[in-house]
Amino acid sequence: MIDLLGFSLCLFGFNSFALAKFNHFKDVFKKRPTELQSKSLLFTAWISILLSLVLCVATQSGYGALLFCGFMSLSVLIIMVFYNFLVSYVKWFSVLNSVLVVLSGLFLALN
Amino acid sequence: MKDSFFRSMTWLHTWVGLLVCWLLYLIFFAGTLSFFRDEITLWNQPAIHNVQAQAQRIEAQKQQIITGFDYLANHGANSPSWRITLPEPRIPYLVYGYAKPKEPGQRRSQFKNTQLNPNTMQELEPFIDTKGGNFFYRLHFDLHYMDAITARWVICFASFFMLIAIISGVVIHKRIFKDMFSFRRNKGSRTWLDAHNLSSVLALPFHLMITYTGMITLIFMLFPYPAQTAYDNGMRGFFNDVTPRNTMTDKAKGESSMVPIQSILDQVYTKWPHADITRVQVNQPNMAASTITVLVSAGKTLRDQAPRLIFSGATGQMVAKTDDELTNSKALYESLNSMHTGRLATWLLRWLYVLGGIAGCVMIGSGCIMWAKRIRERTKNNAKPSFGLKLVEGLNLATIMGLPLATCAFFTANRLLNPTTAERADKEILAFFFTWLAVAVIALFKRDTLQWRVMAAINTVACLSVPVINALTTNGNIVSYLMHKQWALFTFDALFLLFSILFFIQTEKLRTAKNTSKIISPSQSNNLKRQKS
Repeated sequence: MIDLLGFSLCLFGFNSFALAKFNHFKDVFKKRPTELQSKSLLFTAWISILLSLVLCVATQSGYGALLFCGFMSLSVLIIMVFYNFLVSYVKWFSVLNSVLVVLSGLFLALN
Repeated sequence: MKDSFFRSMTWLHTWVGLLVCWLLYLIFFAGTLSFFRDEITLWNQPAIHNVQAQAQRIEAQKQQIITGFDYLANHGANSPSWRITLPEPRIPYLVYGYAKPKEPGQRRSQFKNTQLNPNTMQELEPFIDTKGGNFFYRLHFDLHYMDAITARWVICFASFFMLIAIISGVVIHKRIFKDMFSFRRNKGSRTWLDAHNLSSVLALPFHLMITYTGMITLIFMLFPYPAQTAYDNGMRGFFNDVTPRNTMTDKAKGESSMVPIQSILDQVYTKWPHADITRVQVNQPNMAASTITVLVSAGKTLRDQAPRLIFSGATGQMVAKTDDELTNSKALYESLNSMHTGRLATWLLRWLYVLGGIAGCVMIGSGCIMWAKRIRERTKNNAKPSFGLKLVEGLNLATIMGLPLATCAFFTANRLLNPTTAERADKEILAFFFTWLAVAVIALFKRDTLQWRVMAAINTVACLSVPVINALTTNGNIVSYLMHKQWALFTFDALFLLFSILFFIQTEKLRTAKNTSKIISPSQSNNLKRQKS
């Protein structure tokens, strides 16, 4: 479950990175992002990615750092596929990703 | 000045990458397959297909070692060494082996191995002669037919070029973050550039890590001078110093009875209560100088050398051991090595390593193709392509389409060759290289879209034939593997089916693709006019 939380946070971070970009945001929401929206998404992205890194390294030290690098690769690949081939599903994907972060976080917090 | 620097870096990136890209493709291809080394070996040996992983594997180890000692004492009493290899999650069988006396001219002793099913302790059917996953593992740094040391120098040279290409690539990729998730389809060279950039960026930490640590694994060959300066007998002295060895009883003469193995194991479990023992080695059994080495798994720690304890076989006293706490330099070397080999990886990290490896293959492959496409587009309609362009296009076809086909030939040969064939393992490897050579010969004469399409179609059939031939020649098939939860075998067959589908899609795409080299877009036309003026 730690791995799932680490990965979903990483994915969430890169998804926020993608949405912070003008062209990707426009593809998904059919409108331009405001300056505040763009900055908030960038901020969320960095926090989420750093959290993922801290979680991986704190729980599995060097092995966790390797996992984090792998999570980043997989996340970028998934985001690339969604934003270039499945744009209409990005909203659903974002919701699912958020739910995954919350559920895996809750599971870990309660156990 | 900035523009000049940028151009210099672009030139460096192009030429450094292009010079060694086919060799790098082979290294990445074979290296990526090596992450599944044990699974490939498992598939190549039908005798172990039905061996189930033990539920209580670690708990059963003590009894397996005790039984092994009895077996080896009865069968290999006069042997110079014994070896007990215990089942691991990815290697489910047990091996008791003893060395046969060396033949004249032999460098290393041959082992007589007995493979057992750890659940029933029954001997398994005789193993067929195959290199399995070890072939790809050795290929990615020994290049098979070359002298090993020369091959490793060549590999290091290529890795160094790769490192320069990666760093210069990051420098010249101005929009690295802006275009991070962008992939523009059906845009000719632009699409290839996007594929190249994306595959580079998505696994950039992996590419840097695997290239740099690859050179570190061979650092003592590349840079032996500090050790040669510090030790009287050079590298040998250095390795003797850093590898735990018996210096207490190694000079003892004469015969001696062995201590009971239980007393050794008690000491091991006192030190490491949850030890996952991977191997027990006995050197000079029944001699006063005998040693018993117990190796345990390092688990997920970034450590390449397995932790080990060495005992005197005559007295049971511990005579050497690996350090519990590594010095900074040793820890750095060990961690970099373990990061490269990925032996520490559980299934999740192993797949992530494979993803990085595939991204590396795409990065190198798309780079090679892009260069050829650009030069082809710049070549005037009636002009003859240069020798360099023909060479690059030929090598592209031979490497990118030849290696998957050669791999299919290797696995098909494994199933179709008679188990009693002499030097069977070498013949499997010969099938690999002959197939690759055949593709290279075709590419030498013709390398147009038609040849790519034909090769894609042949690869479709070849990839499909691997699971089909497996189903026809063994007792299992992809469905039975799924039903019996034999995940390694199921994934192996499923991957070949997946690649068969991908090659089929490629065949269809190439069939319907327009000949872009003959169609010049308005922007290209403008560029040509500008160049002329």
